[in-house]
Amino acid sequence: MQNHSNTAVLTAELPADAAENEKLIEQAYEALDGTEENKPENRNKPSKWDRWKANFKRRGWILLFILPALIYVIIFCYAPMYGILIAFQDYGQGDPIIGADTVWVGFDNFSIFFSDPNFWSYFTNTFLLCFFGFVVGFPLPIIVALLLNSLRAKKVKKGLQILYYAPHFISLVVMVGMLKMIFGSDGLLDKWAGGNGLELFLKPEAFRPLFIFSGNWQDFGWSAIIYLAALSGVDPALHEAAKVDGASRFRRIFSVDLPAIAPTIVMLMILSIGNLMSCGYEKVILMQTDGNRVTSEIISTFVYNFGLGADGKPGLGTAAGLFNSVINVALLIIANFTSKKLANQSMW
Amino acid sequence: MKKSKIFTALMAAVMCAAAVFPLAACYYKDEDEGHEFTVLTVKEETVKDYNTMPVFRSLAKETGRDVYWIYNTSMQYQNNSDPVGIKGIDAIYHAGFSNLQLYNYGRRGKIAALDSYITEKTMPNFKRILDARPDIREALKSPDGHIYSLPRVEEMGLKAYPNLLFINKVWIEELIDANDPAASGIEKEDLQDGLRLTRSQYKGILQGFKANHGSCVPLAFVHGNWQGNESDFISSFGVPENAEHKTILNGQITFTVESEAWFNAVKEMHEWYGAELITSSAFTQTQDEFLARGQDGRYGSFYWWEKDTVVSKDLRDDYIVMQPLVDDATGKQYVGLSNELEVEKSECVILGSCKDKAGLLKYFDKFFEPDYSAQLNYGSIESGAFLRQKVDGKLIPNDDHGRQSADDFRMKNAPYGVVYLTQEVWENSVEMESRAKLRLERLESYVKPYNEFKDSVRSIPNLNYTKEELDILSRYETMLGKNINSWMVNKIIASSAPSLSDWQNNLLKSNKTAMDEVKRVNQAAYERYLAATASA
Repeated sequence: MQNHSNTAVLTAELPADAAENEKLIEQAYEALDGTEENKPENRNKPSKWDRWKANFKRRGWILLFILPALIYVIIFCYAPMYGILIAFQDYGQGDPIIGADTVWVGFDNFSIFFSDPNFWSYFTNTFLLCFFGFVVGFPLPIIVALLLNSLRAKKVKKGLQILYYAPHFISLVVMVGMLKMIFGSDGLLDKWAGGNGLELFLKPEAFRPLFIFSGNWQDFGWSAIIYLAALSGVDPALHEAAKVDGASRFRRIFSVDLPAIAPTIVMLMILSIGNLMSCGYEKVILMQTDGNRVTSEIISTFVYNFGLGADGKPGLGTAAGLFNSVINVALLIIANFTSKKLANQSMW
Repeated sequence: MKKSKIFTALMAAVMCAAAVFPLAACYYKDEDEGHEFTVLTVKEETVKDYNTMPVFRSLAKETGRDVYWIYNTSMQYQNNSDPVGIKGIDAIYHAGFSNLQLYNYGRRGKIAALDSYITEKTMPNFKRILDARPDIREALKSPDGHIYSLPRVEEMGLKAYPNLLFINKVWIEELIDANDPAASGIEKEDLQDGLRLTRSQYKGILQGFKANHGSCVPLAFVHGNWQGNESDFISSFGVPENAEHKTILNGQITFTVESEAWFNAVKEMHEWYGAELITSSAFTQTQDEFLARGQDGRYGSFYWWEKDTVVSKDLRDDYIVMQPLVDDATGKQYVGLSNELEVEKSECVILGSCKDKAGLLKYFDKFFEPDYSAQLNYGSIESGAFLRQKVDGKLIPNDDHGRQSADDFRMKNAPYGVVYLTQEVWENSVEMESRAKLRLERLESYVKPYNEFKDSVRSIPNLNYTKEELDILSRYETMLGKNINSWMVNKIIASSAPSLSDWQNNLLKSNKTAMDEVKRVNQAAYERYLAATASA
């Protein structure tokens, strides 16, 4: 402690002359510490590498903590990536991915995909489904978290929170089964309307709202947890101060809570924009009927049909999937760049 | 304190689970050892364990081969993109591979070519069958000329007609009693099997049903299903429709959707849907949902394989089977033929990694013997599927399964799969089930004689494609059927009637390439098939 303040005093009194400066620093360090590595001749050229080494020696073990995550990412995210080679092959079930008689077809699979008469329909369906899902699903958990957080009664807050996130644990198949019981043939609504009234599963225009609202109903409570966690880190003193200044509860949400979780919001927003073109195929396939296929056939169901179907073309499926991923990466980069420019926040 | 206890308990549970997991795997493996062969089969939970089925025990005894069966449910199996990659199995039963899969796996040696084993010594039964039936031999050939799979052959002459039209005669009687104009011209004496109605008469009656029984379903079917679909209704307009919308008409592979009669049928269905004669459930329900909904007699009329499974026992007599609907304009009756084949190509495959292929094939060859085929198809003699005494050397099916329905019994006790049951077998070795006989009779007396298409239309047989052709088919066919069904259902349920230009532009034009290519490839393969089977 003492030494530190000495340095501070010394630097503060440095004369303007540079040579003099050096000398003084030298003296100061000698006074502080006589060890070899702190000597000025060594200190003057500590390369980045040296510093990194020193740092590693002292704190390197902390890196062990990221090891499991790293292994996970390598095994489950990077290793399978060689499979995208299939997109450039005439691949058949059971083929090795790279073998002596692998047939390379270049970008043929991509041109087949792009020249599909329904390509634009798949593309816009994917985009609209995910985009509306984002527009509805992104702000909802934030609002819920803010409201929950400003509840005074703790028990009510906890109770509501559990009530909100419980649907998250309903399996997809059961979820779609429930939807069919309510909105499907002979379902609650259909019966109530009488005749061929309100069978929503056959109506193309009803597919997106059904998909999006059921998805959000299931997940808004769950997604709110991360915001609640961020909110719990807000200094109560800020709230006290705001209260003293006469801020209403509503005002405090906007002036204290929201700014506090803004970084989390931005980060999650960048991530969700990066996923804007990827909604999984499972629920879509469960909900798909010949009636709503016009809006429910998306790129990922195309991938499923060609990639896993017995008569399918795995190469074509992979090409479509790769195209989808490339768009997602591009969106992620654009979102990150924009946020860096506008809000000075970014992921890298 | 309490919390930490709970935590400890939880951790202990997790640790136990983790410890048991590898043990369980070991146990499974242990059981597997000591068997000569392990065969993967696709089986639902409700079907009995093959390892305990008497028919397999007697097969093992007779051939001296010890086969251990392991299972995948059909869901698991479908989602496995590389079933032949499963370790430690020698064969896959109920493989159900597509032509493309057979070719790909065969080319890689992942499944064994069987040609060299089809000899008098190893597979005498199978050899005899292929020698007698060049069409089956032709059907089994892969593009490279090899045979990679064992077939299922069950020839009853039933599958080409997967639909029969049934109607509730009690409800028609009600209409007659009430002097409803819808039933004019129909006498009570007419109300028996073989009732013949024009489409407009039929429509009037369904409207009467709707008026009298508000919550009924006037006409029920399962859209897009292999049996009990709307194809026969569409066919009645004079186009040989089937679930694939693809047939052979006058020797030409044809898409039914290209015919204006098909468009008219869709237009009519749109109208019927608007009048609630057809309900939305027809387009969303599964087979099981259809069967469950019909039990209480809610259907005024329905298309199905037969009526026994659709309505409950006490209501069965209310329904009579009808002749195909008569087209009002021409006065003719038309029924299309399905492409459901009685020779299924890839029921069983032997993996390339099997150490003793000849040994395993000797075992499977027994499956083709009439007595075993019959037991595989209906359940073993021991389980009560057949009477113990043969009559005139024939196995006689046992129709009485106590409280169980014949269907339920068969579902539980019969493994199905590789069988050879043909006309010859029905005549000499196995008596046809009474249900099958009844259905055959109905088809012979009420459907086949009236079908104007009986000489001009045939089902698409098992065709042989080249690798290039398979590629073209997989590229176009995967989406084509879906596009057609999707257009059709959308038009039927839409609020306004479909227009000719919509049909031409949004269905025919946008799918033209796909349809042309599929037709071209199938036509070429069909002509090769004709040449091969004619010369043989």
